[in-house]
Amino acid sequence: MVLKIENLSVSYETDIEVVHAVNDISFSIEKGETLGLVGETGAGKTTTALSIMGLLPERTARVRSGRIEFQENDLLALSEREMQHIRGDKISMIFQDPMTALNPVLTVGEQIAEALILHNTDGYTQKEIEARVEETLELVGIPKERKKDYPYQFSGGMRQRVVIAIALVCNPDLLIADEPTTALDVTIQAQILSMICDLQRKYGTSVIMITHDLGVVAETCDKVGIIYAGEMVEYGTLYDIFEGDEHHPYTVGLFGSIPNLKENARRLHPIEGLMPDPTNLPEGCSFSPRCKRCMEICMKKKPAVYENNGHQIRCHLYDAGMQKAVSENRKEAGEDGR
Amino acid sequence: MVKFVVKRLLYMIPVLLGVAFLVFAILSLTPGDPGTIILGITAKPEDIASLNAQLGYDRPFFIRFFNYIGDIIFHFDLGTSYQSREPVIDSILARFPNTLKLTIFSMSVSSVIGISLGILSAVRQYSVLDHVCVITALIFACIPGFWLGLMLLMLFSLKLGWLPPYGAGSLRHFILPTITVSMTSAAGLLRLTRSAMLETIRQEYIRTAKAKGASEKRIIVRHALRNAMIPVITTLGTSFGASLGGAIIAETVFAMPGMGTLITTAIRQKDIPTVMGATLFLATLFSLIILIVDLLYAFIDPRIKAKYRNGGKSHE
Repeated sequence: MVLKIENLSVSYETDIEVVHAVNDISFSIEKGETLGLVGETGAGKTTTALSIMGLLPERTARVRSGRIEFQENDLLALSEREMQHIRGDKISMIFQDPMTALNPVLTVGEQIAEALILHNTDGYTQKEIEARVEETLELVGIPKERKKDYPYQFSGGMRQRVVIAIALVCNPDLLIADEPTTALDVTIQAQILSMICDLQRKYGTSVIMITHDLGVVAETCDKVGIIYAGEMVEYGTLYDIFEGDEHHPYTVGLFGSIPNLKENARRLHPIEGLMPDPTNLPEGCSFSPRCKRCMEICMKKKPAVYENNGHQIRCHLYDAGMQKAVSENRKEAGEDGR
Repeated sequence: MVKFVVKRLLYMIPVLLGVAFLVFAILSLTPGDPGTIILGITAKPEDIASLNAQLGYDRPFFIRFFNYIGDIIFHFDLGTSYQSREPVIDSILARFPNTLKLTIFSMSVSSVIGISLGILSAVRQYSVLDHVCVITALIFACIPGFWLGLMLLMLFSLKLGWLPPYGAGSLRHFILPTITVSMTSAAGLLRLTRSAMLETIRQEYIRTAKAKGASEKRIIVRHALRNAMIPVITTLGTSFGASLGGAIIAETVFAMPGMGTLITTAIRQKDIPTVMGATLFLATLFSLIILIVDLLYAFIDPRIKAKYRNGGKSHE
C-alpha cells in the first residue's frame, strides 16, 4: 500500500463562508497502480491532490478530519520541513496549466535540476545532476540541447513535458497528475498520456490521475473514483465502473452525457442542473436535487456506502430493502445502451 | 544587444532637442528680461537695453535658440551665466557632486529599507510586522518632504545639536537631507515591492517550486524575487533620475548647493544659459538611467532580452 486516505474532509474557511470542498473521501493506491479521480470542475479533485501534497492554501484551507497515510507516515502530522523532504522526491505533482506552471526567468534545465539538488541525499556531483537532467529531458521527448532554453521558447505541449520531467526526475513513488492534458490539444494529449503510462510501467510509480475526461480514464486507470460535490460517490476497478451492472445515478449520467455516434441523436444528454453550492450542501444526498431516481429518503438522510466485492457506491438505491429499485436501476443502465 | 543600445542612444537626440526647445521657449515666453533683473528696475532703459544686447537677448527667439544649440554641438559650450559671467558648465560641475551624493545616499537607504521590508511584509502578509510596515509606509508617503526636513532640522540640529543644519561640507551634512529624501521614496518602494511580491507568490510556478520540495526561503530568493523585481526596478530608476533634479526640497531646506537650487535660483534670475545647461545635463542623465533600467530588465527577464535581440519584435 503506497497511499491510503481515510475519511478526508477539507474545507475553505473565510469570514464570509465555509466551502466544503472535500467531504469524507477514502481511497487507497497500491504500488504501480493508477487511480483515476473523475468529477466535474469544482468537485474537490484538486483539493484532494493538494491535501496529499500538503500544499493547501495556508490561510483558508482546513483539514477537518481524516488521515493521509503514505508509506506508513501520516502526512497530515508531519512538519513542514519533513513534508519538504517528501514533496518532489517521494510524491510529485504535474499541474494542469503548463503555460503558468514554469518559472519564466529560469531555464528549463535549472528548473528540472532543482528537484534533484533539493533531494540530493546520494551526494550526486554537479556533473551527475546535469547528466540526469539531460536523461530526463530525452525521456520526455525533448532534445537535451534545449535544457538551456527558457519556458517561453517552448510550446504548450513541450512545456507540459518539462513539467512532467520536473515531476519525474527524482523517480517519485507517487505521481499526482492534475488534469495533465486538459490544456493541450488532442494529439498532444494522447502522446503525453502514453508517455506517463510508459514511465509508470518502467519505474513502478503509483499514479493518481485527476481528470474529467472518461476517455483518459479508460486509457490509463486501474481503479476509478467518481467524485461529486466533494464526495466519492462511486469507487471501483476500471471494469466495475465501465462494465459493471451497478452504478450511482451520477455515474450513469456522466456516461450518458458522452455523445454517442451510433445513436441518431440531435441533442446532447447533459445531467440536468448544476453542482450544489459547496457553501450550502443539501441535506441528505448531495446529488439528490439532480438525480432522476431521487426518493424521499435521499433528501433527508446521507446515503451509506454499499459495497459489493470492492465496488463501492454511495446511494440509497442500494440500501437493504431497496432491491426492487436496484433491479430497476440495472435495467435502466442496460437500456442506456452501455 | 549592441544594436539596441545604439538605437536607444540615437533616440536620445530628438528627446534632448525637444527638451531644449521646450525649456527655451518657456523661458522666453515668461515676462521680464535679464537686463532688468540684473540692473534692477530703477536702472536707465538705455543701460538695460545695452546689457540685453551684450547678452544677445535682443535677437529673435529662433536665432538665439539655434545659436545656443549650435554652440553646444559644435563647440561643446553650454554658454555663460548671465549672472555670474562664468561658464555654465563650471557651476554645474561645482554643484553636481553634492546632488549626486545626496541621490546615491538616499536611493541606497530607501531601496535597502523599502525593498527588504516590502519583501518581509509580503512574505508575512497580515502579520504584525506587515501591518506596522504598511501603516508606517502610508504615513511617510503622506508626509510632505519639506515638513519632514524642517522637523528633522529642528530636532537634530537646533534642539539636540547633533548634526549641522546647512551646507554640504562633510558627510555629516548629508545625514538629514538623506533621511528627508529617502523616507518618502522608501515608503513608496515598500508598498510597491510588497504588492509585486504578493502577486508573484500567488503564481502557479511558485506552487510548482513548492511541489518540488523547495523551502520558503528558497522560493522567495530564487523563484519570486527576480519576477517581482521588474516593477520595482522601473520605479527605482525613475526615482533615481527624478531625485537628481528633484532633491530641490531637501537642498532648499538644508541650504545645500546642488542642482535643484542651481536651477531654481537661475529661473528666478532669468539666467537662461544656466537653466538650459542644467536642464539638458539632467535630461541626458535621466535618459541614460532609463536606458540602464531597460538593460537591467534584460538581465532579469530572458523574454525581454530576446525581444531586444529581435529588435523589438516579440518572440512568441
